[in-house]
Amino acid sequence: MLLNIQNTLKRQLLGAMNNNTLIIASAGSGKTSHLVEGALRKSTESVLITTYTEANEREIRNKIVSKKGYVPSNITIQTWFSFLLQHGVRPYQSVLNDELHDVDIGFLLSNSRSGKKYDSEGNPISIGGRPIYWGEKDFFRYYFTKGKDIYSDKVSKFVCKVDQELKGELISRVSRIYKNIYIDEVQDLAGFDLDIIKSLFKSKSSVMLVGDPRQVTYLTHHTTKYGKYSEGNIKSFVENELGKRIKCEVDETTLSVSHRNNQIICDYSSRLYSNLPKSTACKCGACRVMDDHMGVFIVKPSMVGKYLETYRPIQLRWDNRITVNSNYPAMNFGESKGTTSNRVLIYPTRPMANWIKDNNAVLSSEGRAKLYVALTRARLSATIVLDYEEGDMFEGKRINNYIIA
Amino acid sequence: MRIEKIKIYNYKCFDGWFTAHLNNGVNILVGDNEAGKSTILEAANLALTGILQGRYLKNELSQYLFNHNVACNYIGAVKKGENPHLPEICIEIYFDTDKLPLFEGNRNSEKVKACGIFYKIEFDSTYQSEYERLISVPEELTTIPIEYYKITWKSFARDSLTARSIPVKSVMIDSSSNRYQSGSDIYISRIIRDDLEDSEKVKLSQAYRKMKDSFSQDESIKAINKKIDEKAKISEKTLKVCVDLSTQNSWESVLMTYLDNIPFHQIGKGEQCVIKTNLALGHKKSKEANLILLEEPENHLSHTKLNELIKNITDGCLDKQIIISTHSSYVSNKLGLENLLLLHDQNISRLSDLKKDTFDFFKKLPGYQTLRLILCKKAVLVEGDSDELIFQRAYMDSNDGRLPIEGGVDVISVKLTFERFLEIAENIKKPVAVITDNDGDYDTKIIKKYKAYEESDCIIIFADKRNELNTLEPQFVDANKEDPKKLCDVIGVSCEDYTTPDVLSKYMESNKTKWALKVFESKDAVKYPEYIKKAASWCNE
Repeated sequence: MLLNIQNTLKRQLLGAMNNNTLIIASAGSGKTSHLVEGALRKSTESVLITTYTEANEREIRNKIVSKKGYVPSNITIQTWFSFLLQHGVRPYQSVLNDELHDVDIGFLLSNSRSGKKYDSEGNPISIGGRPIYWGEKDFFRYYFTKGKDIYSDKVSKFVCKVDQELKGELISRVSRIYKNIYIDEVQDLAGFDLDIIKSLFKSKSSVMLVGDPRQVTYLTHHTTKYGKYSEGNIKSFVENELGKRIKCEVDETTLSVSHRNNQIICDYSSRLYSNLPKSTACKCGACRVMDDHMGVFIVKPSMVGKYLETYRPIQLRWDNRITVNSNYPAMNFGESKGTTSNRVLIYPTRPMANWIKDNNAVLSSEGRAKLYVALTRARLSATIVLDYEEGDMFEGKRINNYIIA
Repeated sequence: MRIEKIKIYNYKCFDGWFTAHLNNGVNILVGDNEAGKSTILEAANLALTGILQGRYLKNELSQYLFNHNVACNYIGAVKKGENPHLPEICIEIYFDTDKLPLFEGNRNSEKVKACGIFYKIEFDSTYQSEYERLISVPEELTTIPIEYYKITWKSFARDSLTARSIPVKSVMIDSSSNRYQSGSDIYISRIIRDDLEDSEKVKLSQAYRKMKDSFSQDESIKAINKKIDEKAKISEKTLKVCVDLSTQNSWESVLMTYLDNIPFHQIGKGEQCVIKTNLALGHKKSKEANLILLEEPENHLSHTKLNELIKNITDGCLDKQIIISTHSSYVSNKLGLENLLLLHDQNISRLSDLKKDTFDFFKKLPGYQTLRLILCKKAVLVEGDSDELIFQRAYMDSNDGRLPIEGGVDVISVKLTFERFLEIAENIKKPVAVITDNDGDYDTKIIKKYKAYEESDCIIIFADKRNELNTLEPQFVDANKEDPKKLCDVIGVSCEDYTTPDVLSKYMESNKTKWALKVFESKDAVKYPEYIKKAASWCNE
């Protein structure tokens, strides 16, 4: 009985301390503005704003500077990795291994799994065509390069292990430094990053996560840990993995309308994620511009030059190996995240093209996310470069006057 | 917030690690010359400001910062063809607070979670290959290769620091004067700047800029510029004189502090010291803590000024930490014995480390005697005034008439409280001699009583074994038994009245101070008991 009362009290206390939210946002809903306004309201408390990509970190900084003229001294903006390095790795870097006490730990961005084994001639060792990796027991080779740079795909694991070893002291330190922690583009975080988020939820800091589960174009690292949550499924992580004592409110309404895309683009792009709520276009007068070329279109490769000349869209591609018209500006899909254009011209990959013809076609989660990002950059029109014959069927509909949606 | 402790490694007189735990308010640092009092102040200030003797150390590294032994050992090892670890200097400051999580981490010599900063002078490994080439010819290496060294200044969380980001503002007040080229005193500018809020600093630099602008807008300056420009028709460009607008914080180096219209550096050293201290004591910034480092304030202050300063310190130190180095027993006594840090042989001990009843005993004493023991080089403890006079004279006779105190030996009359003093002496490893009577029972009164100090390497007991000669007087008569007439003459009695040693020593015992004073003032030297002579020669060991 007494125990029960204690537990109830404890829960209430914890509830009062933890003021955590996950905001599910859709493209063009003003995510960054929302975040920045929230941060600027906390004029006396310390705030950390962190996000995975450097581009977005810059974007947040610029937004704050454009609103305020400078970044207030109570607000710190840094990328997720730089945050992990400064507050996760360095303060207690030698807890796991004393040899690290005096080392200047650097950082190495690793796009694939790090810590490959090499033979004496410097060639990767492989068995049956698959590379072999150092295990955790080889502490230094597992986490670090020879020059003691920590691998980006292991850094959050390292941080979790240190925090465990210190019985939570590491996260406690962070929560005493930052009363408010905002994480933008949270869908980019994966694996042990999620454990860190969990610990932050448990701490005294108020945590706000903002993300769009549809825009998983990058991941901090590829891992099997929490694999089922890595594809933008942060919401079910929050719902299933926190346990009873950690609270996080999920907000799917505040940032559900797009101030960028018109309804046609909203509807068409929502088809990529039929399991998620459909996005809708806002009704603000200022956001809505009328135009005679609005919607989703396709254009034959032979007509691209003419189309570019007429509508001046920005060209979007997978990467710079894709040939575009070099007389007009172009961007990679991943790079375009967070940007806004009136019109886009998308060079689809083969699976993307197949999906456009038939929405049941197989499309990887990365391909899906990138196509979603590409489509939702446009305020007025999103046009896809695709060869077709007059009368071809797209999603059961006959092409009519370039319009597919 | 306060500083819990300072640790110093290989810096100047400290060979290896040295630790000083600090009190909350006042810390009085006492100890011999060369014990490292100033070095502690200097090191604390360096780690908190990056400044040594008025300059940023960054560009002025020198091998003389290193402990001499450490440097010699290193060079010796290189000469022997070994590959020794390059010496490094480290100063660590530990903060006692949980309000500064940014400074928490385990990058400290204790490798534990702590809040603080460190300042390290260490080899820069980017010069590894140059260094290897250098020591390949060991004969040519005569000093620490300081040109390959760098300064690392970080928090315990391994974050780099600047003087601005350190939450403790340190103020060094010493007799040296470090001035900007313009003459304004660096320290006083710092003291003033550190007390300003950001908005006030902005206002000050704007006012300064405005002043410079209005200077160049002045009609006479315009006329001069026109003249210069006409004369120097070198190109299409204009040539003119203007105030230097390039540096951001130039007001600091240009503005001068005045006291009653006299430039600050022109007023007396004592007055400067009092003003700097009072300014520093007056700092009110709540976010930052203050450490005031005061070096030997007695040096340039009159007694009244010193009194005034001490009063200000005791009144103003509530929320500040102060470290004062001093040789003055007056200063220490006024500021409280419980705040004493006794520095000796790279160790700090405090009176509060003593047994409680001993500490209480000394708290009741006027304090002066305790400090005499602490501040002298060697001490001789005697029972009473006559013993003191006789020993002083015995010392003078074997040291060309110099008083013991001139040789750093303090003779202290302690009545029957030898053990209390010995406890302090043992604690601070102060060489102390005890001259005492055997009171007719050498075994009990000497051997048993001082058993605890038998093994001591700093305490030595001088007494005579012959129980029949129980006090100083019979001892003295015995020492002069060859020539009793001379003794009688010296102490001013007739040897015909005092024919046996017994009557003579009876007389002396009932006229203790009188005969001792006669001996002390006499032109002729008498003979001294063996144990007193031994004590006198121990003083010169």
